[in-house]
Amino acid sequence: MTLLKPAISRALGWATLVAVVVLALFGLWGAPPDSVQGDAQRLMYLHVPAAWIAYLAFGVTAISSALWLWPRTRSEVYDRVAGASAELGVIFTGLTLVLGSLWGRPVWGVWWAWDARLVTTAVLLFLYLGYLALRSVPASPDARAKRCAIAALIAFVDVPIVHFSVTWWRTLHQQATVFNPELKANIHGVMAFTLWFGVLAFTLLYVYLLDRRYRLAVLEDDLDERELERAIAERVAGAGTSVRASPGDDADKVPAEVTP
Amino acid sequence: MTSAEFVIGGWVLTGAVFLAYWLRIQQRIRRAERLERDT
Repeated sequence: MTLLKPAISRALGWATLVAVVVLALFGLWGAPPDSVQGDAQRLMYLHVPAAWIAYLAFGVTAISSALWLWPRTRSEVYDRVAGASAELGVIFTGLTLVLGSLWGRPVWGVWWAWDARLVTTAVLLFLYLGYLALRSVPASPDARAKRCAIAALIAFVDVPIVHFSVTWWRTLHQQATVFNPELKANIHGVMAFTLWFGVLAFTLLYVYLLDRRYRLAVLEDDLDERELERAIAERVAGAGTSVRASPGDDADKVPAEVTP
Repeated sequence: MTSAEFVIGGWVLTGAVFLAYWLRIQQRIRRAERLERDT
């Protein structure tokens, strides 16, 4: 069971590869160097799309979690999508921070600053690392899904805080280039094309990897279920053997031996 | 380090992270599919 049909998933994988190669060509050679930042600005073609796709991934996690919590739409599909999307969101957020740091060293002169945008993004990363840790805590599928869905909705509160941090607190990080309060993009020409193409390439990458991660979650859940059924069958068979081994000899006490 | 080295480092790192993640997922899918067939 997958989110996409196998043929579509394969086609999406190839489309993603092509898009990433084209992005690299434009990002590293096609787009001109920035008049102020020079070549360091080429990291923005990865940093900005990574940040936006992280928002998207955490948004999908929040919506899936809400759909799981709503009794009418409750389905294990939404729990799996939430977990898979959160994992991808953590990767995109981690890359956002590292790429921002690599850009900050030559442009700001520092690897890290206690800036509102940077700190709220780091908090976002740790919130979702906590969410992933919560997913790995042993529990029944329903109990795990419920506690994770609630945690995902709480963690998502930080996403708008990250986005508006540059408007609410004027610290080192620049204001939004595209989604600013005036909604007036301060980027044009080949640079704007490359940025939007980066968003497209990362969106394709996110959807493709989400499908793959979902497929893995389905397989692992099936294997866990089979393993449980096998263990129960072995216990039942073991109990039957014990009963047969001691006919009439306190046979009513035998089931107590198989109680964990 | 020059700006170009930071840029190349960032792009290579991004590619390596996604390649490693994709390979790990594919490896786990293949292993799970094999186990499913065997059981």
